[in-house]
Amino acid sequence: MTAACKIVVALIVLLCFQCLPPKVFAQADAKSTQNPQPPTTYDQSTPPQQAKPENPQNNLPNAPSSSSKPSLSDLGFGAQDTKPDPKAQALLDKRTHMLKIHQRMGLITTIPMVASVVTSLGAGGRSTDKASRDLHVALGALTGDLYGITAYYALRAPKPPGIQTKGPIRFHKAMAWIHGPGMILTPILGAMAFDQKSNGEKVHGIASAHGPVAIVTAGAFGAALLSVSVKF
Amino acid sequence: MSRTASTVFTLLIALRSLGVAADTHWVLEQSTLSYHVSHPLHQTDGVSKSARGKGLCHDGQCDFLIAVPVKTFDSGDSNRDLHMIQVTRGAEFPMVQVRTHLPESVAGSAIIHADLEIEFAGQTAHYKQVPFQMSTQGSQVHLTGTIPTTMSDFKIDPPSLLTMPVKNEMPVRVDMTWHSQ
Repeated sequence: MTAACKIVVALIVLLCFQCLPPKVFAQADAKSTQNPQPPTTYDQSTPPQQAKPENPQNNLPNAPSSSSKPSLSDLGFGAQDTKPDPKAQALLDKRTHMLKIHQRMGLITTIPMVASVVTSLGAGGRSTDKASRDLHVALGALTGDLYGITAYYALRAPKPPGIQTKGPIRFHKAMAWIHGPGMILTPILGAMAFDQKSNGEKVHGIASAHGPVAIVTAGAFGAALLSVSVKF
Repeated sequence: MSRTASTVFTLLIALRSLGVAADTHWVLEQSTLSYHVSHPLHQTDGVSKSARGKGLCHDGQCDFLIAVPVKTFDSGDSNRDLHMIQVTRGAEFPMVQVRTHLPESVAGSAIIHADLEIEFAGQTAHYKQVPFQMSTQGSQVHLTGTIPTTMSDFKIDPPSLLTMPVKNEMPVRVDMTWHSQ
């Protein structure tokens, strides 16, 4: 065979290969791979099992893909990012359910709380009207009970681990340190003031702080409510 | 004859190498994805910079995948973010995945229209011809656009505050920088 013939044969073979569809090369690639990756399909019930990358650089989606379409496993996310967690979802569902009740009860509590503040005008001072005082006591007691239920749902709502509190909810929680003790002190001081008033005495001593403590408590409660309702 | 065979083999290898070099790989370098939610008392934006993406081009056609963990969206309020994860079932379906298929010829365009397939909250929604502004600098491509997503597309119950639900519209603003390899 002459050199010219050899070149012609080589060119013919080359042209034949050039005409082959790219899939031929892809198939050749797949066959040459020792451990071929199965095609990744997005299925939440069977998430792709990925080892947590040791080196952050390995996390970058630079690795060549063995298939023609990129898959989630090509992107280098860790298993903790892609693995479904039904338990965490159940925890979040419970948390949301409890916080919804907390929100609703908080809104309901504002009604007797405002009414208590309004009726306090006729319950103390020089007023001798026992009916007004009784109404104020009843509304105060109702406020305290509803507040207790509201607080229960906030305190018992589960919180996922590793969450750092930020945003208006921080102010909302900070206010609880004011209206929480206030809601304990106010009825105690109110009961003392009620006894003194019922005995015909002028409200004196620590009981005279009932009004100011109640105002501060109601103010902190209102601020807490507004902080998560209206954007400042 | 053995010399001929080796010549052919060498040329084949070279040709094959040329074929592989014609494929382009795109990698998402930087991204900012932000969803917007409207409520009568609030306007909220949740932002994530944790998206990763990859594009593979072959024979003039490119397939792209962009994914981002749901939990990485930050609205500036941890309580709201947890609630967002809950309503979108983000613990059960932790990833948002966006797939699209584009011809390689759009690389130089100023505006591209992409058909998107979005997997989110256990649902898949399709958005046709979503416009994106595109600018190219060397091997980098900068893309911006807004995906007109709604909560009902993904069967998400709109969260409510003070008994008022948020609007159904939840547009997602996209700002991405890709580079080719």
